[in-house]
Amino acid sequence: MSSGPGRFEQVYSEHVVGIYRFVYARVGNRPDAEDLTAQVFVRAVEQLDTTRQPGQIAAWLYRVAQNAIADYWRAFYRLQVVGVDHVAPGWEPADDGARRREPPDERATIRVETLLGDLPDRYRRVLELRFLQRMSVAETAQAMGITSGNAKVLQYRALRKAALIGETTDG
Amino acid sequence: MADERDQRAERFERFLDTLLAGNRPSPDDVEDRDEAEMARLAAEITGAVRVDRAEPDPAFVEQLRLRMRAADEGIDAVQVPPPVRGPAPEPQGRSTWRLSRRQLLQGGIGAAAGLAAGVIGVSLTPRADETPNIGGDDDLVAGEGFWVEVAQMADLPVGTAVRFSTMAFDGYIVNDAGEVRALSSVCPHMGCTLHYRPEWEDLRCPCHGASFDMTGRLANGRRAWREQPYRGDARAYPIELPDLVRPRVKVEDGAVLVWTAQA
Repeated sequence: MSSGPGRFEQVYSEHVVGIYRFVYARVGNRPDAEDLTAQVFVRAVEQLDTTRQPGQIAAWLYRVAQNAIADYWRAFYRLQVVGVDHVAPGWEPADDGARRREPPDERATIRVETLLGDLPDRYRRVLELRFLQRMSVAETAQAMGITSGNAKVLQYRALRKAALIGETTDG
Repeated sequence: MADERDQRAERFERFLDTLLAGNRPSPDDVEDRDEAEMARLAAEITGAVRVDRAEPDPAFVEQLRLRMRAADEGIDAVQVPPPVRGPAPEPQGRSTWRLSRRQLLQGGIGAAAGLAAGVIGVSLTPRADETPNIGGDDDLVAGEGFWVEVAQMADLPVGTAVRFSTMAFDGYIVNDAGEVRALSSVCPHMGCTLHYRPEWEDLRCPCHGASFDMTGRLANGRRAWREQPYRGDARAYPIELPDLVRPRVKVEDGAVLVWTAQA
């Protein structure tokens, strides 16, 4: 259980960027990404045996991150149990440094493109304006020639539809 | 039914707006399982397209690194001077204090340093001096020592605070609605010096924004935040911190005295 001086900092330095990106890609905002990243490393200090193989350490960290993300979403699902696979589809234990050098979660980017591509035109358009063009609801409404109220309903339906598509392609 | 749909779309827009603005969204704006799916999808899309935020903030990385370093150092030992016993202390070498990794993480480096400073005489019972103290932590700051005058009540109207410094302590004397208290001015997170904000009546850390109330408790942590967001802050202070160390204090003939452990 014991480890030489500086072990935690070393593990931290190696993985903090990767873990942060991993979490950020799944919560989409900085404050929560920072909290969950901190949780992972606090947990590591409490429980991680730093004498393990580097590959095992990485796998352990990502598993803890995955659990932290699942717990995070559980609050949104009103305590319904969320299958781990469901929360992070396609995730498998990280085993080497290659993953960390990747641009932030390419799989997620591809998934987003696929999702948008599968949507009916108006649904795709409203999500593109809000997420990609970074427009407000008012700007989106203006760009589409509809009222703000309609834009809110449209984006709501678009996300609902996209979530359904996502479910079927995940499974 | 159209009304209900509008309301749901309206509420969900609150979630979306918060998320897209880069802030922490609330589960309260999500109604059911379907909307949770939508929320998660929205978060993933945001995470994928807002790559400008996908790299960790260097300040965050450094802050967390210091906690890791503290944990590394804490595993071996934390060195503190031995308690001073009796009037003519012999040099007794250094004693070793073991802190758990968890304690260190919760308190951070500042807490470790604060503990080292405050721990002098920790296991000794208070001496013959039976003067009742006001609002001090006997278990943290008791033992052999003496009273030092640090302020005049005339300079300390209700709702004000004055800095003081003794050989053992840097802190504030505060007048909290007529109750006089001494509080350490060292933030238990990383040891920055807290400053008093009269308009909020709190002690604020300039480094990462922790705020302590006039009893020395963290006022803008996430636990407190759940009851009520803290005045003027956009979000909760992310980690829980221990209370500020409170030396014993008493008022005599209009003078405020602080108990100072004998060095």
